[in-house]
Amino acid sequence: MTRIFLNWLPVPVVGVLLVVLIGWMHGAGPWHLPAAIWTGAWGTPEAAMATLGKMSPLLLTGLAVALAYRMGLLNIGGEGQLVLGALAAAVTGGYCGGLPAGLGFLLPLMAGAVLGGVWAFPAVWLRQRKGVHEVLSTLLLNTIAVFLAEYLVLGPLGDGTALGRTPAIAPQAVWPSLGAGAPAGITAAPVVALLICWGAQIWLSRSVRGYEVTASGSNASAAELAGIPVASLQRRIFLLSGALAGLAGALEVAAVHHRFYRAFSPGYGFDGITAAFLVGGSPGWLWLSGLVLASLRAADKWLQLALGISPGAIWIVQAVLLLTVACRFRRSSR
Amino acid sequence: MAGLTTLFLLGGSQSTPLLLACLGGLLSESSGVINFALEGMMLVGAFTAVWATHVTGSPWIGLAAGAAGGMAVAAVHGVASLAFRANQIVSSIALNLLAAGLTGTLLNHVFRVYGTSPAVSKLPTLGDWIPWLEGSALAVSGGLGSLPVLVPCAFLASLLVWYFLLHTPWGLSIRACGENPMAASSTGLKVSWIRFGAVTAGGVFAGAGGAYLSIGELAHFVERMTQGRGYLAVAALILGRWMPGGALAAVLLFGFAEALSQWLAVRWSQWPPQLFLAFPYLLSLTVLLFRRGRHGPPSALGQL
Repeated sequence: MTRIFLNWLPVPVVGVLLVVLIGWMHGAGPWHLPAAIWTGAWGTPEAAMATLGKMSPLLLTGLAVALAYRMGLLNIGGEGQLVLGALAAAVTGGYCGGLPAGLGFLLPLMAGAVLGGVWAFPAVWLRQRKGVHEVLSTLLLNTIAVFLAEYLVLGPLGDGTALGRTPAIAPQAVWPSLGAGAPAGITAAPVVALLICWGAQIWLSRSVRGYEVTASGSNASAAELAGIPVASLQRRIFLLSGALAGLAGALEVAAVHHRFYRAFSPGYGFDGITAAFLVGGSPGWLWLSGLVLASLRAADKWLQLALGISPGAIWIVQAVLLLTVACRFRRSSR
Repeated sequence: MAGLTTLFLLGGSQSTPLLLACLGGLLSESSGVINFALEGMMLVGAFTAVWATHVTGSPWIGLAAGAAGGMAVAAVHGVASLAFRANQIVSSIALNLLAAGLTGTLLNHVFRVYGTSPAVSKLPTLGDWIPWLEGSALAVSGGLGSLPVLVPCAFLASLLVWYFLLHTPWGLSIRACGENPMAASSTGLKVSWIRFGAVTAGGVFAGAGGAYLSIGELAHFVERMTQGRGYLAVAALILGRWMPGGALAAVLLFGFAEALSQWLAVRWSQWPPQLFLAFPYLLSLTVLLFRRGRHGPPSALGQL
């Protein structure tokens, strides 16, 4: 417990110091910036709902990274998988008009997850067959996915306007708002995402397969010798990771935007990396990093309005937090 | 014919930033430190180059500042990965994010603008130095004289890095740290310091590559102007199997692919522009598919 404490203590300390420092550099008092982040993210019911709404993509992309990392793989391709998953969901959702309610509700989500998984496949194939590191291939696939989606949404899959968006999805596919009256509306999506994360945690720590995943991730050759089919497990986990990122995009379409448009993701795929590593890759704690990142993200416009701080400052905070987490401050026993 | 000359010149100028970044990555990874942070080093270099040029008025000081900017990011990467034993990939990703946030914020802070900085003076072109190039037969549509002087410098630098890494004792020490740090340390080499030196020296190259983008090719800084070139440089490094010659060949392939797609985008304007934008990335992914053999990375890459 002390060990965990010592390893994680620097994270909040550095985070708070940095936030205070940025505020001071902009000529505000030391507590202005934390206060402004609080007001921007949780100050009004509308803001709180918007912040909660940002939780679901962060949780799912974070889970995508965390799950693959358990297996010893780094899936940096969440952005591309999310974008294409969202596009698939939006297109499928557009054709769901005549379907029964349940099917019309599930089909777009499934389409998003499947395309996310498909987009992750080349990376794991290249890794296993050609020894190309998956970080590189997924980064290349990200760029290709963004251009592909942009082309499709401006051309064959667009709604005919020059706005670069697909037609709105059918009403069956839309997630209903839980509480009436709020501008963005809060749906069950964050709750579902949270349940998926906790489910994954239980699966990893309580099931045989989950144990095999962790074992292969910590020592692949030992796991191989123990009879665990490491290669096929790697493939399946990586595809699952892609599917989760695709699902994140599909949920954004179904619950929030109800269509796909150009420049769809504000970097949720990359935020997933931060989310996963902030809590040491443990799915059960993703809610915590998701909450922190969603608050930072939700507050950035407010910071610009209230204190004149450019949104890039939020990235700086995120990056320094990630860097702090990556560093190990205790001496190892070695 | 004129079209081909244009293509050739465009290819040379597109390869230059990739080549510089790739050389930086080569130095770093030869010593055993994974470097996906080239993108961030280039971006910071591009910004500090414009900043220093804006303040001093001299693009040469700008170039030095660009190199220093890249070096600063590399130093952080070195400290995080060597002193604090950070996961080198996570540290790289964090630094790329930091570079994007920092340059955006500073752009706003220094120049009071969003997106694009005001114009500053550029580095000279070949034509400024060797006037007869402008009038020569090669002076077709801009011509050889319009290439920034950094282009031949970058190709010269790749020769120097090749000689340094493969034919000098220092280069041997660096490669020893990348292949077998235990053995290197048992011969009395200070592995961590050598690695730190290699990573920061790599940052100088990557920063200069960024400076080429901002004050060599253009004359201003644009937010996120590196557009994934740092990642392409890593792809070239892998494709070139961590050898200077191979890296140069891979960089030329990507540079000319980019030139070709820009050239074709003008001619075949009925095709979707995104196809041409994605072409270098598609090509590098496809080429990785045809990778053969197992001549892999330095054995101790990413290990401490």
